[in-house]
Amino acid sequence: MTTPEKAGSTMIDSQQASEALSEINEIARRVRQSRIYNLASMIMIMWGVLTFAGYLVTYLAPRYAGYGWLAVYAAGIAGSIVVSASQHARSGVRTFDIRMFSAFLLFVAFGFFTNWLGHFTPRQMGTFWPIYFMLVYTIAGLWVGEAFVAIGLGVTALTLIGYFFIGDAFDLWMAFVNGGGLILGGLWMRRS
Amino acid sequence: MAELDDIIHQPLRLRIMAALNALPSGVGLEFARLKKLTGATDGNLGAHIETLSKAGYVAVEKAFVGKKPQTTVTATAAGRGAFARHVAMLQEIIAASGGKP
Repeated sequence: MTTPEKAGSTMIDSQQASEALSEINEIARRVRQSRIYNLASMIMIMWGVLTFAGYLVTYLAPRYAGYGWLAVYAAGIAGSIVVSASQHARSGVRTFDIRMFSAFLLFVAFGFFTNWLGHFTPRQMGTFWPIYFMLVYTIAGLWVGEAFVAIGLGVTALTLIGYFFIGDAFDLWMAFVNGGGLILGGLWMRRS
Repeated sequence: MAELDDIIHQPLRLRIMAALNALPSGVGLEFARLKKLTGATDGNLGAHIETLSKAGYVAVEKAFVGKKPQTTVTATAAGRGAFARHVAMLQEIIAASGGKP
Protein backbone atom coordinates (compact mmCIF):
# COMPACT_ATOMS: atom_id res chain seq x y z
CA MET A 1 0.00 0.00 0.00
CA THR A 2 1.31 3.43 -0.97
CA THR A 3 1.00 6.75 0.80
CA PRO A 4 -2.36 8.42 0.24
CA GLU A 5 -2.25 11.42 -2.10
CA LYS A 6 -4.26 14.56 -1.57
CA ALA A 7 -6.01 16.07 -4.54
CA GLY A 8 -8.83 18.57 -4.25
CA SER A 9 -10.14 17.80 -0.77
CA THR A 10 -10.21 14.02 -1.31
CA MET A 11 -7.36 11.75 -0.26
CA ILE A 12 -6.99 8.32 -1.75
CA ASP A 13 -4.16 5.82 -2.12
CA SER A 14 -3.26 3.87 -5.23
CA GLN A 15 -5.28 0.87 -4.04
CA GLN A 16 -8.45 2.98 -3.94
CA ALA A 17 -7.57 4.60 -7.28
CA SER A 18 -7.17 1.17 -8.82
CA GLU A 19 -10.52 0.04 -7.40
CA ALA A 20 -12.22 3.16 -8.78
CA LEU A 21 -10.79 2.51 -12.25
CA SER A 22 -11.91 -1.13 -12.11
CA GLU A 23 -15.39 0.05 -11.15
CA ILE A 24 -15.44 2.46 -14.11
CA ASN A 25 -14.35 -0.29 -16.51
CA GLU A 26 -16.95 -2.71 -15.16
CA ILE A 27 -19.78 -0.16 -15.54
CA ALA A 28 -18.62 0.70 -19.08
CA ARG A 29 -18.65 -3.02 -19.95
CA ARG A 30 -22.19 -3.36 -18.58
CA VAL A 31 -23.39 -0.34 -20.57
CA ARG A 32 -21.93 -1.73 -23.80
CA GLN A 33 -23.52 -5.11 -23.13
CA SER A 34 -26.86 -3.52 -22.29
CA ARG A 35 -26.90 -1.58 -25.58
CA ILE A 36 -26.01 -4.69 -27.59
CA TYR A 37 -28.74 -6.67 -25.80
CA ASN A 38 -31.27 -3.92 -26.43
CA LEU A 39 -30.67 -3.88 -30.18
CA ALA A 40 -30.24 -7.65 -30.48
CA SER A 41 -33.49 -8.25 -28.59
CA MET A 42 -35.54 -6.24 -31.09
CA ILE A 43 -33.96 -8.08 -34.03
CA MET A 44 -34.39 -11.45 -32.29
CA ILE A 45 -38.08 -10.88 -31.59
CA MET A 46 -38.64 -9.88 -35.21
CA TRP A 47 -36.81 -12.97 -36.53
CA GLY A 48 -38.69 -15.09 -33.99
CA VAL A 49 -42.07 -13.97 -35.33
CA LEU A 50 -40.94 -14.48 -38.94
CA THR A 51 -39.44 -17.90 -38.22
CA PHE A 52 -42.58 -18.95 -36.37
CA ALA A 53 -44.62 -17.99 -39.46
CA GLY A 54 -42.17 -19.79 -41.79
CA TYR A 55 -42.39 -23.09 -39.91
CA LEU A 56 -46.15 -22.77 -39.57
CA VAL A 57 -46.49 -22.36 -43.36
CA THR A 58 -44.15 -25.35 -43.82
CA TYR A 59 -46.32 -27.44 -41.49
CA LEU A 60 -49.73 -26.36 -42.79
CA ALA A 61 -48.92 -25.92 -46.51
CA PRO A 62 -45.67 -27.76 -47.33
CA ARG A 63 -46.08 -27.04 -51.07
CA TYR A 64 -45.61 -23.34 -50.39
CA ALA A 65 -42.76 -23.74 -47.90
CA GLY A 66 -40.12 -22.53 -50.39
CA TYR A 67 -41.97 -19.28 -51.08
CA GLY A 68 -42.68 -18.90 -47.39
CA TRP A 69 -39.02 -19.09 -46.43
CA LEU A 70 -37.98 -16.72 -49.23
CA ALA A 71 -40.47 -14.22 -47.82
CA VAL A 72 -39.13 -14.82 -44.28
CA TYR A 73 -35.53 -14.13 -45.34
CA ALA A 74 -36.45 -11.06 -47.40
CA ALA A 75 -38.57 -9.58 -44.60
CA GLY A 76 -35.95 -10.50 -41.99
CA ILE A 77 -33.05 -8.84 -43.80
CA ALA A 78 -35.10 -5.74 -44.61
CA GLY A 79 -36.39 -5.55 -41.03
CA SER A 80 -32.90 -5.98 -39.56
CA ILE A 81 -31.63 -3.09 -41.66
CA VAL A 82 -34.57 -0.88 -40.64
CA VAL A 83 -34.25 -1.70 -36.91
CA SER A 84 -30.49 -1.19 -37.01
CA ALA A 85 -30.79 2.12 -38.87
CA SER A 86 -33.44 3.48 -36.49
CA GLN A 87 -31.36 2.40 -33.47
CA HIS A 88 -28.29 4.02 -34.98
CA ALA A 89 -30.17 7.29 -35.44
CA ARG A 90 -31.47 7.13 -31.84
CA SER A 91 -28.44 5.95 -29.88
CA GLY A 92 -25.42 5.79 -32.15
CA VAL A 93 -25.11 1.99 -32.04
CA ARG A 94 -24.30 0.65 -35.50
CA THR A 95 -24.48 -3.11 -35.97
CA PHE A 96 -25.63 -3.74 -39.51
CA ASP A 97 -23.21 -2.07 -41.91
CA ILE A 98 -22.11 -3.25 -45.34
CA ARG A 99 -19.42 -5.50 -43.83
CA MET A 100 -21.96 -7.17 -41.57
CA PHE A 101 -24.35 -7.59 -44.51
CA SER A 102 -21.56 -9.18 -46.62
CA ALA A 103 -20.68 -11.54 -43.76
CA PHE A 104 -24.35 -12.51 -43.49
CA LEU A 105 -24.56 -13.24 -47.24
CA LEU A 106 -21.39 -15.37 -47.10
CA PHE A 107 -22.76 -17.20 -44.09
CA VAL A 108 -26.07 -17.97 -45.82
CA ALA A 109 -24.30 -18.92 -49.07
CA PHE A 110 -22.16 -21.43 -47.18
CA GLY A 111 -25.32 -22.83 -45.60
CA PHE A 112 -26.93 -23.37 -49.01
CA PHE A 113 -23.70 -24.92 -50.31
CA THR A 114 -23.69 -27.36 -47.37
CA ASN A 115 -27.35 -28.25 -48.05
CA TRP A 116 -26.56 -28.86 -51.71
CA LEU A 117 -23.44 -30.89 -50.96
CA GLY A 118 -25.18 -33.01 -48.34
CA HIS A 119 -28.41 -33.52 -50.35
CA PHE A 120 -30.38 -32.65 -47.20
CA THR A 121 -34.00 -33.72 -46.85
CA PRO A 122 -36.52 -31.00 -45.86
CA ARG A 123 -36.43 -32.28 -42.28
CA GLN A 124 -32.64 -32.16 -42.22
CA MET A 125 -32.72 -28.63 -43.64
CA GLY A 126 -35.23 -27.64 -40.99
CA THR A 127 -32.76 -28.90 -38.40
CA PHE A 128 -29.58 -27.61 -40.01
CA TRP A 129 -30.54 -23.93 -40.42
CA PRO A 130 -31.52 -23.20 -36.80
CA ILE A 131 -28.46 -25.03 -35.49
CA TYR A 132 -26.27 -23.18 -37.99
CA PHE A 133 -27.65 -19.80 -36.89
CA MET A 134 -27.47 -20.73 -33.21
CA LEU A 135 -23.81 -21.63 -33.64
CA VAL A 136 -23.16 -17.97 -34.47
CA TYR A 137 -25.21 -16.86 -31.43
CA THR A 138 -23.21 -19.17 -29.20
CA ILE A 139 -19.83 -18.08 -30.56
CA ALA A 140 -20.81 -14.38 -30.42
CA GLY A 141 -21.99 -14.91 -26.85
CA LEU A 142 -18.45 -15.82 -25.78
CA TRP A 143 -17.59 -12.14 -26.39
CA VAL A 144 -20.79 -10.15 -25.94
CA GLY A 145 -22.72 -11.88 -23.17
CA GLU A 146 -23.85 -15.16 -21.69
CA ALA A 147 -27.49 -14.64 -22.78
CA PHE A 148 -26.48 -15.39 -26.37
CA VAL A 149 -24.73 -18.60 -25.30
CA ALA A 150 -27.75 -19.78 -23.30
CA ILE A 151 -30.19 -19.05 -26.14
CA GLY A 152 -27.89 -20.65 -28.74
CA LEU A 153 -27.33 -23.85 -26.79
CA GLY A 154 -30.95 -24.06 -25.62
CA VAL A 155 -32.48 -23.75 -29.10
CA THR A 156 -29.87 -26.17 -30.52
CA ALA A 157 -30.70 -28.82 -27.91
CA LEU A 158 -34.46 -28.47 -28.47
CA THR A 159 -33.96 -28.59 -32.26
CA LEU A 160 -32.03 -31.87 -31.97
CA ILE A 161 -34.71 -33.31 -29.67
CA GLY A 162 -37.27 -32.41 -32.34
CA TYR A 163 -35.21 -33.98 -35.13
CA PHE A 164 -34.70 -37.27 -33.33
CA PHE A 165 -37.91 -37.67 -31.32
CA ILE A 166 -40.74 -35.60 -32.83
CA GLY A 167 -42.45 -37.26 -35.77
CA ASP A 168 -44.73 -35.56 -38.28
CA ALA A 169 -45.23 -32.51 -36.10
CA PHE A 170 -41.54 -31.58 -36.46
CA ASP A 171 -42.25 -28.28 -38.26
CA LEU A 172 -44.86 -27.35 -35.68
CA TRP A 173 -42.35 -28.18 -32.93
CA MET A 174 -39.77 -26.01 -34.66
CA ALA A 175 -42.24 -23.11 -34.96
CA PHE A 176 -42.42 -23.03 -31.17
CA VAL A 177 -38.82 -24.03 -30.41
CA ASN A 178 -37.06 -21.81 -32.93
CA GLY A 179 -39.60 -19.01 -33.43
CA GLY A 180 -40.82 -19.07 -29.83
CA GLY A 181 -37.28 -19.53 -28.52
CA LEU A 182 -36.09 -16.41 -30.34
CA ILE A 183 -39.08 -14.38 -29.11
CA LEU A 184 -38.62 -15.49 -25.51
CA GLY A 185 -34.86 -15.02 -25.77
CA GLY A 186 -35.39 -11.49 -27.09
CA LEU A 187 -37.79 -10.65 -24.28
CA TRP A 188 -35.36 -12.07 -21.73
CA MET A 189 -32.56 -9.92 -23.17
CA ARG A 190 -34.70 -6.79 -22.84
CA ARG A 191 -34.99 -7.48 -19.12
CA SER A 192 -31.26 -8.22 -18.70
CA MET B 1 -1.89 18.65 -12.77
CA ALA B 2 -5.38 17.18 -12.76
CA GLU B 3 -7.34 16.93 -9.52
CA LEU B 4 -9.72 14.40 -8.11
CA ASP B 5 -13.24 15.71 -8.43
CA ASP B 6 -15.05 15.55 -5.09
CA ILE B 7 -18.45 15.48 -6.79
CA ILE B 8 -17.58 12.58 -9.08
CA HIS B 9 -15.52 10.67 -6.54
CA GLN B 10 -18.52 9.55 -4.43
CA PRO B 11 -19.02 5.83 -5.36
CA LEU B 12 -22.56 6.02 -6.78
CA ARG B 13 -21.90 9.26 -8.64
CA LEU B 14 -18.73 7.68 -10.07
CA ARG B 15 -20.85 4.77 -11.37
CA ILE B 16 -23.44 7.16 -12.84
CA MET B 17 -20.77 9.20 -14.62
CA ALA B 18 -18.96 6.04 -15.81
CA ALA B 19 -22.21 4.72 -17.31
CA LEU B 20 -23.09 7.99 -19.04
CA ASN B 21 -19.53 8.43 -20.33
CA ALA B 22 -19.62 4.99 -21.93
CA LEU B 23 -22.25 6.36 -24.33
CA PRO B 24 -21.64 8.52 -27.41
CA SER B 25 -21.89 12.26 -26.80
CA GLY B 26 -25.50 13.46 -26.57
CA VAL B 27 -26.91 9.99 -25.90
CA GLY B 28 -28.50 9.47 -22.48
CA LEU B 29 -29.81 6.67 -20.31
CA GLU B 30 -33.32 6.24 -18.98
CA PHE B 31 -33.64 6.43 -15.21
CA ALA B 32 -34.75 2.79 -14.92
CA ARG B 33 -31.82 1.56 -17.02
CA LEU B 34 -29.37 3.69 -15.05
CA LYS B 35 -30.80 2.32 -11.81
CA LYS B 36 -30.25 -1.24 -13.01
CA LEU B 37 -26.72 -0.56 -14.27
CA THR B 38 -25.59 1.18 -11.08
CA GLY B 39 -27.48 -1.02 -8.63
CA ALA B 40 -28.94 2.04 -6.87
CA THR B 41 -32.34 2.57 -5.26
CA ASP B 42 -34.82 5.11 -6.69
CA GLY B 43 -34.31 7.69 -3.94
CA ASN B 44 -30.56 7.34 -3.80
CA LEU B 45 -30.15 7.60 -7.55
CA GLY B 46 -32.46 10.62 -7.74
CA ALA B 47 -30.52 12.46 -5.05
CA HIS B 48 -27.13 11.85 -6.67
CA ILE B 49 -28.41 12.79 -10.14
CA GLU B 50 -29.63 16.03 -8.57
CA THR B 51 -26.12 16.71 -7.19
CA LEU B 52 -24.54 16.01 -10.58
CA SER B 53 -27.15 18.15 -12.30
CA LYS B 54 -26.49 21.10 -9.95
CA ALA B 55 -22.78 20.81 -10.75
CA GLY B 56 -23.66 20.98 -14.47
CA TYR B 57 -22.29 17.50 -15.11
CA VAL B 58 -25.53 15.91 -16.31
CA ALA B 59 -28.68 17.12 -18.03
CA VAL B 60 -32.02 15.65 -16.95
CA GLU B 61 -34.88 15.50 -19.42
CA LYS B 62 -38.40 14.49 -18.43
CA ALA B 63 -40.90 13.43 -21.05
CA PHE B 64 -43.98 11.28 -21.44
CA VAL B 65 -43.81 8.14 -23.56
CA GLY B 66 -47.48 7.38 -24.03
CA LYS B 67 -48.87 7.90 -20.54
CA LYS B 68 -45.69 6.87 -18.75
CA PRO B 69 -43.26 9.52 -17.51
CA GLN B 70 -39.70 8.89 -18.63
CA THR B 71 -36.58 10.56 -17.24
CA THR B 72 -33.44 10.55 -19.35
CA VAL B 73 -30.04 11.53 -17.96
CA THR B 74 -27.23 12.65 -20.28
CA ALA B 75 -23.65 13.66 -19.51
CA THR B 76 -22.97 17.27 -20.49
CA ALA B 77 -19.75 18.43 -22.15
CA ALA B 78 -18.62 19.82 -18.77
CA GLY B 79 -19.41 16.48 -17.14
CA ARG B 80 -17.46 14.56 -19.75
CA GLY B 81 -14.48 16.86 -19.28
CA ALA B 82 -14.60 16.54 -15.49
CA PHE B 83 -14.88 12.77 -15.72
CA ALA B 84 -11.91 12.56 -18.12
CA ARG B 85 -9.82 14.66 -15.71
CA HIS B 86 -10.92 12.51 -12.79
CA VAL B 87 -9.90 9.31 -14.59
CA ALA B 88 -6.56 10.89 -15.58
CA MET B 89 -5.95 11.73 -11.92
CA LEU B 90 -6.71 8.17 -10.83
CA GLN B 91 -4.23 6.91 -13.41
CA GLU B 92 -1.64 9.41 -12.19
CA ILE B 93 -2.00 8.20 -8.61
CA ILE B 94 -1.44 4.59 -9.73
CA ALA B 95 1.50 5.60 -11.94
CA ALA B 96 3.05 7.58 -9.06
CA SER B 97 3.01 4.46 -6.93
CA GLY B 98 4.95 2.60 -9.61
CA GLY B 99 1.83 0.83 -10.80
CA LYS B 100 1.43 -1.03 -7.51
CA PRO B 101 -1.94 -0.80 -5.76
